[in-house]
Amino acid sequence: MCVPEASWVPAERLKFVNRFVVERADSCISCGLCASLCPNGVHKRVEGHASILPPYNQRCIGPSCASNDYYCVRRCPTSSLSVRASETFPALGDVRWTADMVLATWRMAETGEPMPLDHPANLGACGGGFDQLHFRIPKGGSKPKDYQFETSVELNRRKTGPRVKIDIPVYGGGMSYGSVSLYTMVARAKAAQAWGTFTCTGEGGYPVELIPYKDHVITQIATGLFGVKEETIQRAPIIEFKYAQGAKPGLGGHLLWEKNTPLVAKMREAVPHTSLFSPFPFHSVYSVEDHKKHLDWISSVNPQALLSVKVSTPNDVEMVAVGSYYAGAHIVHLDGGYGGTGAAPEIAKKNIATPIEYAIPKVHRFLTNEGIREDVTLIASGGIRNALDVAKAIALGADGVVIGTAELVALGCVRCGNCESGRGCPRGIATTDPELIHQMDTEWGAKRISNLFLAWRGQWGDLLSRFDMHDLKELRGRTDLLRFDGGKEVKA
Amino acid sequence: MYERYHIHVEAAPPRYVPVPKFLMVRADNCINCGKCERNCVYGVHKRREDDPRQMADPISQLCKNCFRCVAECPQRALTLSLNQEFLALGNGVWTPQRIQTIWNESEMGKIPVLGAGYRGMFSGPGYDSMWTDMSEIVRPTRDGIHGREHISTNVIIGRNPFYLQFGPKGELLTPMPSFVELPLPFIFDLCRLKNITPAMQQGFARAAADLNTLLIVPMEDLDKVEREIPSANVVPVVRKISDLELVPPGTRMVEIEWDEGWEAVIKAARAKMPDVILGVRLMSGPGLEQRLLQTGQSVDVVHILLDSNGQDEEGRYARDKLRELHRSLVKEGHRDEVTIIVGGGIAAAEHVPKSIICGADLVTLEEALLVSQGCRACADCKEGNCPAEVTTAPSEYVKGRTINMCNAWRDQMLEVLGAMGIKEVRRLRGEVGRAIFQEDAERDSFVGITGGDASG
Repeated sequence: MCVPEASWVPAERLKFVNRFVVERADSCISCGLCASLCPNGVHKRVEGHASILPPYNQRCIGPSCASNDYYCVRRCPTSSLSVRASETFPALGDVRWTADMVLATWRMAETGEPMPLDHPANLGACGGGFDQLHFRIPKGGSKPKDYQFETSVELNRRKTGPRVKIDIPVYGGGMSYGSVSLYTMVARAKAAQAWGTFTCTGEGGYPVELIPYKDHVITQIATGLFGVKEETIQRAPIIEFKYAQGAKPGLGGHLLWEKNTPLVAKMREAVPHTSLFSPFPFHSVYSVEDHKKHLDWISSVNPQALLSVKVSTPNDVEMVAVGSYYAGAHIVHLDGGYGGTGAAPEIAKKNIATPIEYAIPKVHRFLTNEGIREDVTLIASGGIRNALDVAKAIALGADGVVIGTAELVALGCVRCGNCESGRGCPRGIATTDPELIHQMDTEWGAKRISNLFLAWRGQWGDLLSRFDMHDLKELRGRTDLLRFDGGKEVKA
Repeated sequence: MYERYHIHVEAAPPRYVPVPKFLMVRADNCINCGKCERNCVYGVHKRREDDPRQMADPISQLCKNCFRCVAECPQRALTLSLNQEFLALGNGVWTPQRIQTIWNESEMGKIPVLGAGYRGMFSGPGYDSMWTDMSEIVRPTRDGIHGREHISTNVIIGRNPFYLQFGPKGELLTPMPSFVELPLPFIFDLCRLKNITPAMQQGFARAAADLNTLLIVPMEDLDKVEREIPSANVVPVVRKISDLELVPPGTRMVEIEWDEGWEAVIKAARAKMPDVILGVRLMSGPGLEQRLLQTGQSVDVVHILLDSNGQDEEGRYARDKLRELHRSLVKEGHRDEVTIIVGGGIAAAEHVPKSIICGADLVTLEEALLVSQGCRACADCKEGNCPAEVTTAPSEYVKGRTINMCNAWRDQMLEVLGAMGIKEVRRLRGEVGRAIFQEDAERDSFVGITGGDASG
């Protein structure tokens, strides 16, 4: 495969938070010593200005700098400088996406440099699931620079049909036109093209701007059938049936009226400024036989397409997976309860259907015992936030994963969670507001997502080298390489 | 004509500014350029009305932490931080997030909806370590919560006859026990609320009357609410035999404190009003099972009282306690002879269906009623020192906020039932197979991972 190169894609508007704050007291005489000392560029004096600029906190490395000669706080002749912990830092993120993880994702999107495997940003703080699963990495043995490894995944594992391979075990989840902006969609498609993988239209139609990337765009068919046309089915190499989604398992889809602008409505063939519900379930599917009929319908419209079935994680998820396989699906896509990007009732996110961590090993084992594991691709999604989550999902038994939130964070999402209503995302990512969307452009976005994948690939390489492996596929189902920290306090 | 049960909601804005989660502070080096005002889509930043040359103080409670103003400020004069006062709200299962959620539900009566996925802890004690099931592809019973089918939230309080006997002409021979049918699986219990004023009692009573649910009141407070609510919706709590004289006509259910001599009170009550449903209030603790089986013979309803965290005297959570009780009652063949009501620790909408899954027939709302009025669920509630001044709430306000919260909770229960493909809440009772318990899931899924099967 050809690995895209890293590019430097900074975002000035994401440089607003750091762990530390540098304060300059009024006693400063603007001598400029600090500006000449600091190698990180915290202090700056513009040529011709009498006084020095306010400190650039985001560049400060904190009190640990005291061991350096150039520690500004100590060297300041008037003792006007001080460094303390930032109060803004804890206001960013949440226990699942910690501030560290958000900042690390931004940094990887900016530079394409992988984070070390022991970096705190690889773990969230939600106290369960992936956050309590760790790789049992053998001591020593860091990666040789030219370590060769393979990350591709074959998506059609049946004996017949077109061969479709993705170069990294990740593709983009469905985010509809309407839920996110066109710029976001195109940026994701561009990055998918660069990495030989896919992105997904979501349930909101197939904008013409995506057609240049059509070999890397999955058409989603969901219960509302919004924007599904014969040509959008024929255009796509993979068709994804969305039976349920992790954000709101069993509840269908929901676009609040404020985000249903005339353009969105046109694409969906709906009335502007009405709330759009996708029902649950497909009204034409009430049994596994109906489900097969559904897949057959698509096969007849586009015989070259792979069929993916996206389901959520109920108690009997393994039966659903087996049923989908026998109905003709190439890909079984499990979407766990804690993920998702769309508007969802809070009660559904926490309480309905299980987190993905429980579903993957269950389905993997069941498919293995059924003797069909090698004929079907198992894709996991829902709360997979970083490269190590991907690797853990694979070690639990998945072939690959689907991500959504991580891409949005790479585009500058701060996880404030207000994408669902009003004018939508105030940062212009998940919105169709004609004014707000201009905060982003597609080239910039595509490079940042591409950088993120590059950094992730570096982390997978690092991980593989520790286990003396050369292919991510070797990791699949290797639960013996994992350690679980939980399971003690919840004992009934 | 058949009418669907419907709750009418009206916006009930809070009387005081709710504690904001984020604090926005503008430092002195602000140059009043107004960039923040242009950038904020929520209206946090505004110019001063009296002097438009200057920026007004930021309105923190409108802030939704998008950080756009912080990032755009040319002076780096804006600081956004987590509000320590917010983090200090509540105690135990009454987390700041839950309290804020109830406040919002009580204001608008709507289901809380947000984007960008789940952002809370993976699991937690009690009900937080279980998930409800959903039906995937195969679902013959319904076509979605936005579809045509009706999901019933009705529950029945009272005994169920084991079987029905009919005479030669088809007439029913089995004497039918009396029962109360409610449109909601939650009722209000005012007995354990501290520092509650008559105006609040009246507000809760009017809300209960409007919702057609039951209101449990101590005998001594009966006179304060009886004008606001039909006696059929009031459940007086009786302590001694002489109290029975005061039970108003039309009462359908009476509760008795489990105390010395409760059996005599029951006997007297049965003799005096044979058609009234009798319940006994039990503090959950060691030996509850025995007491339940013992009382279950003579009363129709067992009302289990847990503390405000939903724990019993031994510290066990309702999640485990209820499952155990339900199972033992089923085993003994007594489950349908008794209705189980559980109260305490019901702090969020999901606790209602989860309690029912674990084996309760219905739940009581207690502290949640206060929180919907703006109460902060402080660990020690002192009269006259309430930071939210809950005790000054007028009854109309209390009624509106309570109804709104109940509507939001009912709608969320419909979401849960809808996702499971269950058409009525009565069929949810004891359906532990339609829930996933964390210890089971970890034992099943993480077998083979070091530490993963330690609990099994």
